[in-house]
Amino acid sequence: MPVCSENYESEIAEGRNCRSVKCKFCGSVILSPSTATFASFEFQLPLIRQNKSNETEPETETVSFFWSVSDMYTFQNVGFSHTVGNNKYLACADCEAGPIGYHDLTNKTSFVALSRVQHS
Amino acid sequence: MAKKTYDLLFKLLLIGDSGVGKTCILFRFSDDAFTTTFISTIGIDFKIKTVELRGKKIKLQIWDTAGQERFHTITTSYYRGAMGIMLVYDITNEKSFENIVKWLRNIDEHANEDVEKMILGNKCDMSDKRTVSKERGETIAREHGIRFMETSAKANINIDKAFNDLAEAILDKTAGREPGDHVDRVLVDRKQQSNTSRSCCNN
Repeated sequence: MPVCSENYESEIAEGRNCRSVKCKFCGSVILSPSTATFASFEFQLPLIRQNKSNETEPETETVSFFWSVSDMYTFQNVGFSHTVGNNKYLACADCEAGPIGYHDLTNKTSFVALSRVQHS
Repeated sequence: MAKKTYDLLFKLLLIGDSGVGKTCILFRFSDDAFTTTFISTIGIDFKIKTVELRGKKIKLQIWDTAGQERFHTITTSYYRGAMGIMLVYDITNEKSFENIVKWLRNIDEHANEDVEKMILGNKCDMSDKRTVSKERGETIAREHGIRFMETSAKANINIDKAFNDLAEAILDKTAGREPGDHVDRVLVDRKQQSNTSRSCCNN
């Protein structure tokens, strides 16, 4: 098994996740090995913790690396938020930490941010 | 398209009065004094969980009423396709227990008649505030021929077992539907929700 590092290359084998994708906070299994494909693009993902004073305009960060999942039932465990615009946000199904990514309603594809999960 | 990663798909609903902890049954990561979590502000629409029963990989799609019960708008569309229903009351709230009968009637009116039901007496960690005895829960369940369990979402008592038992009961009853039957249901936008911060775990 490859060692986990900030360098995500070791997590990718033939374009897929070589290890399980788990919640950073509670370890709940989100994706089994080799069930998602790697994708790279930029997306403004809201931060997990938001300041209570600015709920109307959530603080975001640019996220660039994702695990792409075309069938939502591929997930082992995951939560889908209510719809915001064209998206639903993804959360851990057990502790509800999130967003760990988002689901695009127009193409029905889900994207899990590599930086918001752990691999083991 | 990748190969199918599961054998069966069960759609489950959580139903009961507001504040009985339905959301908590699906919720543990909490807010603190100064920050709120982005997800708790928007609210969860549904969850997908995977359980393995008798060698079959089963996907559970779990829906919460998310406050609709306040407006008595739980109708046929919400029940459509549901194979299992968790009926939740709060053991510290007499009224929520009395309303179980009303919810059962609502289910009879709107849901599939062969839907598998289970009654959950939640918040069983709060024994000092208990007003509904375990026996009363068992009695009402027996009268209606429904399974019963006391749970604590907060202390994580019996939650996984409840979902497993309900899934097992559905598996007993039916061979289940073929995967993909409910895919369309997921894409239907229910009412848009914003800023409905729910923190029933704090009470």
